[in-house]
Amino acid sequence: MADSHHFAPEYDAPIEYMRRTREYYLALGYDNPYRWAHYVDAPFRPLGKPLKASTLVLITTAALYQPDKGDQGPGAPYNAAAKFYTVYSGDTSIDHDTRISHIGYDRKHTTATDSNTWFPLPLMREFAREGRFTLAKRFHGAPTNRSQRVTLETDAPEILARCRQDQVDAALLVPT
Amino acid sequence: MVMGAAKDIVEHAGVPRFLFSDFPLGNSGGRPHEPDTQRFTLDLALKVFESAPGPRTTVQSPLRWAEDGDWKLDYNNLARMSPQEVAERRAEFDKVKQVALKQRQAVGLSS
Repeated sequence: MADSHHFAPEYDAPIEYMRRTREYYLALGYDNPYRWAHYVDAPFRPLGKPLKASTLVLITTAALYQPDKGDQGPGAPYNAAAKFYTVYSGDTSIDHDTRISHIGYDRKHTTATDSNTWFPLPLMREFAREGRFTLAKRFHGAPTNRSQRVTLETDAPEILARCRQDQVDAALLVPT
Repeated sequence: MVMGAAKDIVEHAGVPRFLFSDFPLGNSGGRPHEPDTQRFTLDLALKVFESAPGPRTTVQSPLRWAEDGDWKLDYNNLARMSPQEVAERRAEFDKVKQVALKQRQAVGLSS
């Protein structure tokens, strides 16, 4: 018999968010479960040149702070009013006040006091200064408005167009 | 390249390259107020960028959120909620959905 003495506890594995969310909303009385994006194939293209010769763009699901949209944290409850509905872009050479109160992050175990955990722009600037890559002149904000059609047909093509304008070679998506 | 914390959701969709941090959602870039873990995370993401051999490459960061994994049992876990909490959450969700619907209507995304 195998000695399972030193195995980690069963629960100490990546959370099954899809299953947990499905069961959660069913218990809340919603019997129309969300269908997550799912593809059999995933695209892949090797970097055509070393990263240090490439232009890298940051794409975020964080929102710019909007003073007229209620509590946006740190520690704010879920705030749907702070959502945004069109792609926005920002100058990467300066700092931006981004928040995640419009997203279902883990509010029990994190309070959103340090934007570097969801919006690593300052660190990317530092890495770019160290010569690891060239930072694209703009970053882009991707709306999270629960319409997969809008994401696929409107927002993603818009972000791609802006990346092409900025001659981006590679993208780092940091979703929350 | 995706830097994220919801492993099943990202892998279900399928992406070229994925750095997974086994952290509570909201911490894709490292632990709060720890520049060292944030730097480690971005550095590892760049390494994955350069070295991934094909699509759906996932690398899991070796960083731990806490010594034990008990926090993973909390997220939307009905087994840890009283019936009263479930009822409160339902009321709250109904409110939030109304706000989101009005917003979508205002920008012409819903009728």
